[in-house]
Amino acid sequence: MADKPSELVQGTLDMLILKTLDLQPMHGYGISVRLEQMSQGVFRVNAGSLFVALQRLQRAGLIKSEWKATENSRRAKYYALTEQGGSRLNSETQEWDRQVAAISRILEAS
Amino acid sequence: MLQNIASGLRSLLRKRQVERELDEELGVYLEMAIEEKMQQGMTRNDALRAVRLERGSLEVTKEAVRSAGWESFWEILWQDLRFATRMLRKYPAFTGVVTLTLALGIGANTAIFSVVNAVLLRPLPYANPGQLVFVREGKPEAGITGLGMSYPTFTELRDENRVFSAVAGLGGHALVLTGNGEPSEVSTVVVTSEFFSVLAAEPLLGRVFIPKDGQRGAAPVVVLSESLWRERFGGDPGIVGRSITLDMRPYTVIGVMSASFHTPFLNQTNQVWIPLAQDPLFSVWMTRPPHEHWMAVIARVRPGISSAQVQAELELIGARLAREFPAEKGWTIGIEPLQQTVTGEVKLPLLLLLAAVGLVLLIGCANVANLLLSRATSRSKEIAIRIALGAGRRRIARQLLTECAILGLLGGLIGTLVACWGLAALFPLLPSGLPKFHSIRVDRFVLLFALMLSLAASLLFGLVPVLSAAGSDPHQELGQGGRAGESAGPRRTRAFLAVGEIALTIVLLTGAGLLMRSFAQLTSVNPGFAPNHVVKAMVSLPQFQYSTPKQWSAFSEDLITRLQAQPGMQDSAIAGPLPIVDCCITLAFQIVGNPPLQAGVADTANYVPVSTRYFSVMGIPLLRGRLFNESDSSSSPAVVLISEALAKRYFPNQNPLGRHLTFGFPANGIVSREIVGIVGDIHDVSLGKEPGPMLYVPFAQAPLYGAEVVVKSMLSTSATAGAIRSVTQGIDKNLPVTDIAPLPDVLNASVVQPRFRTLLLGLFGAIALILAAVGIFGVISYSVSRRTHELGIRMVLGAQPVLVLSMILRETLVLTLTGIAVGVPCAVATARLITHLLFKVTPYDPVTLALVPFALLAVAALASYIPARRAMKVDPIVALRYE
Repeated sequence: MADKPSELVQGTLDMLILKTLDLQPMHGYGISVRLEQMSQGVFRVNAGSLFVALQRLQRAGLIKSEWKATENSRRAKYYALTEQGGSRLNSETQEWDRQVAAISRILEAS
Repeated sequence: MLQNIASGLRSLLRKRQVERELDEELGVYLEMAIEEKMQQGMTRNDALRAVRLERGSLEVTKEAVRSAGWESFWEILWQDLRFATRMLRKYPAFTGVVTLTLALGIGANTAIFSVVNAVLLRPLPYANPGQLVFVREGKPEAGITGLGMSYPTFTELRDENRVFSAVAGLGGHALVLTGNGEPSEVSTVVVTSEFFSVLAAEPLLGRVFIPKDGQRGAAPVVVLSESLWRERFGGDPGIVGRSITLDMRPYTVIGVMSASFHTPFLNQTNQVWIPLAQDPLFSVWMTRPPHEHWMAVIARVRPGISSAQVQAELELIGARLAREFPAEKGWTIGIEPLQQTVTGEVKLPLLLLLAAVGLVLLIGCANVANLLLSRATSRSKEIAIRIALGAGRRRIARQLLTECAILGLLGGLIGTLVACWGLAALFPLLPSGLPKFHSIRVDRFVLLFALMLSLAASLLFGLVPVLSAAGSDPHQELGQGGRAGESAGPRRTRAFLAVGEIALTIVLLTGAGLLMRSFAQLTSVNPGFAPNHVVKAMVSLPQFQYSTPKQWSAFSEDLITRLQAQPGMQDSAIAGPLPIVDCCITLAFQIVGNPPLQAGVADTANYVPVSTRYFSVMGIPLLRGRLFNESDSSSSPAVVLISEALAKRYFPNQNPLGRHLTFGFPANGIVSREIVGIVGDIHDVSLGKEPGPMLYVPFAQAPLYGAEVVVKSMLSTSATAGAIRSVTQGIDKNLPVTDIAPLPDVLNASVVQPRFRTLLLGLFGAIALILAAVGIFGVISYSVSRRTHELGIRMVLGAQPVLVLSMILRETLVLTLTGIAVGVPCAVATARLITHLLFKVTPYDPVTLALVPFALLAVAALASYIPARRAMKVDPIVALRYE
């Protein structure tokens, strides 16, 4: 499992992106690297899913974007959490915790 | 949400810039990924490949981002529309055939629907039409339903009910309008004073009737229709208050009704309305028993009153009336929605026509689906390539459906034009008695119907190629090089469509065949009289000038004598209601010597006063006894001639000659008459109704103030008409002669409704047959073209052309017989629904049920002949060369 990147659980990518951006504004590549790092290589996000998700989140008003210079003085589009995105992240995290706890209880019961 | 829309619009409108931004963003992304790989020691090329493998291709990413937003729906639609238009333009013959088929189907449906919409769906053109009801008096035990109401019942109902906000009665006939040009008859609606207020109708000028106008002894007043006011009085704005002359009597005009107002049941353009009390004819029934049930009564139900409450109240009133007038026992009062009364008779034929055009469209759709399927098969390579290049199946389905929707909408657009044109062509054919005739037009609702129909049809025929494309396998398609035989799936679909088409056509043709057979039966009915060379005309005497029966009979004698003296006239006579033309005056009679009947039960027969030569003009045979002659005058003993039907029913195994009957038309009083002869039966109500019992009396003994003149002459119709007119006006120049027509024409006009529906259904049947033939031709010729290779091999192996022919014919036969096997039971089931419209033909008519499948077999054989010939001429060398 650890040596082969696995697919994300359906519908969790948005939440993970929000979580990543909660720390600091980041560009697309940065987000995908951070996701891999944080999951210790379990999740690998392909570019298609990532950019579709970014567009979706931006249109939903959860994140905003801005062209800025990178540390290597390249121009890149940086994404940042909006206020609305922050509260969405909170509610989704709570919901996730609740569900995971419930699922664990079921799995441990048997 | 707002941001979503704004961003979507931005991508649509500033496409370039958005693209460039995405390009740049993805470029940076790629660079960063590559850099990282290179830092791990890879060459640039290896890094590029690794990134592509790990993170997916950038082109695919772009496409994914682009198609994720809502705006991509419109973008794709636009692309599809452009592509579809290009494809359709590339195959003009295909596009033309499909569009034409759809245009005909949708056009016919839209035209018929606009009639159905106007007549059946649109509410009556009065305020709150849902509250309006028709109140009828019937006598269920005597089999009399839905008749008019007697005046005493009406007054009781009007004054004593608690459920109606207003009640009014009306009846119609014609009065003679003189002054201001030629004397002419005008359609006269005799109404009680509540009439306009029940319908909540406001006048264009002046006022409508108020209760005072309805009282006896009030000043005579009249309301004019807008068209009469314009044509006859030049639209004179000062008409209110002027006096006009009806039946030689002055009436003061109090108002003009707008042309948009239509009298229920009696819808004519040149019309006047007068109060019942002022009518020379019907006013006698306001008081005098016996009660004539003549008045059509309409009422407006109070808001919040249920029909059960109304019924209960009417039963109460009925019981009270039965106590008050014992002779009226057995009559009951009932209601039905006015809309239903107005449209009742035409509902079934109209729905039948709508169903029939629906079937035609369905058959057309099957044909189009078939065509699309053949094209889909030849396009399978294109589709396979697109699937191989990564197009999703949903994307392809969408593209195909867009093409179909364009075809459907194009068909719908032309179809609407066809409908407008068809409606104009239909108008003169429409039976003029069709209720709400005037309101038939293509309105917004009809246009919406056409649009929905086009889309539904597109979806219907579009589904077939879409499903077939969904099943396509690019491996197989491209591997086979699109050559040899087609897989079984589409072929089965095509056969299924053809079978369905044949079955539907059988249903339609059977319906049409039954109506045609029924119409043939109807028109071959012997009316019991000989209409050829007989011309009829209506002459009515103004009541107030010719007020006594003596004057009426003197006038008629004078008229007949002068007519007989005209050169070229064989015979002429005068009669009360003419058979079929005016239908009937039904009277109750008693047979003298028989025990009296119970109260409320009566024997009835249709009554006609005729002058002596009537039977010779009409060619009605004398069976026993004698006809009338000059000596049957007002001073001689009262006599009557009866019809054979009356003799058979009331004098079975007896000699009716010399017996007496008591009856009488109200104006002449009830008298006892001796039966002096029996004459042949005639269809007096209509050709479709069996001859009923008839009573003929000498005109001299029972004159009417107005009657029909019938003249038998070998002269042309116009010459005869001219003679009648000049003779009549030679007696009195103020007398109008109206409704002049040759009797055969009148008979034809009496079957105009059945002719109309037979004609239309026959037309639809013919279209269906042609479409089915095209469908069969398509399937067979396609199958031949697909099997050219196989046929070539068979021929090389020694198969004779005859064998090939029989193969093709067998295929056609199986197809057609399956269609027939499915279609005939459906046809029989459907035919039972139209039993009401059939005359002397059962829905199981063996002739029709045998002829229709035979016709289809013949057409199928014809349709498969061309492809079969092509198959026989297959050159094995050519067929095999391309392998």
